[in-house]
Amino acid sequence: MAKLKVIAACGSGMGSSQIIKMKLEKAFKKLNIDAEIYHTNVGDAKSNANNYDVVFCSESLVGTFGDVKATVIGLKNLLSEKEMAEKIQEKIIDKK
Amino acid sequence: MLKELVEKKRYSFHKGFDDWRDAVRAACQPLIDDGAIKPVYPDEIIKKVEELGPYIVIAPNLCIPHAQEGVGVNETAMCFMKTEEPVHFDPDDPDKDARVFVVLASTDNNIHLQNLALLVETMSDEEKFAKILEANTPEELVKIEE
Repeated sequence: MAKLKVIAACGSGMGSSQIIKMKLEKAFKKLNIDAEIYHTNVGDAKSNANNYDVVFCSESLVGTFGDVKATVIGLKNLLSEKEMAEKIQEKIIDKK
Repeated sequence: MLKELVEKKRYSFHKGFDDWRDAVRAACQPLIDDGAIKPVYPDEIIKKVEELGPYIVIAPNLCIPHAQEGVGVNETAMCFMKTEEPVHFDPDDPDKDARVFVVLASTDNNIHLQNLALLVETMSDEEKFAKILEANTPEELVKIEE
């Protein structure tokens, strides 16, 4: 699988998005997926979404992305590696 | 992390708030009092949440009020608040209730990242988080990390 380009987004780009990035790095490593992870605010993430394969954000922000090409994955609990692993499995690995 | 916040007097305990905006303001108050942030910072946080929804509630019962780097911030800091009763961010979604608040303010991204890592480590530990939910005094907070 080619290197996955991932962006983590939150309202300001400095809190939740960085937490998502930290947790995703662990989750992808455990699943042996080679991923490049960036973080930013939603506005920026939306305008650049087509340059990425996957967008991760808090569930409450999913709606702001509309119909971008990237797979948008909303998270309920940003601290749960279990939720991340399940969603990576379902929306990224199983889709390949 | 908790011990350091108690030492710096960056914590508060409250019964509850009818309006999440008041909870965000109260959570920020110790940082306004010691000059780490300006009073405009909680307004910035509130504005973003009104615009985008309660994205600052990052896990059940955990809210991390924060806004853009540098706006109204004098010093990279964290501040803890706990309420006895849940604060509702979305009346239709109990998953967006919070009782533990950790305000994040940043001017220095390196220190901020260290703070975030500490926060994630502390709050991801379910046993610790359960104890934090039970704590009602600064002494009890400090004990959790002993």
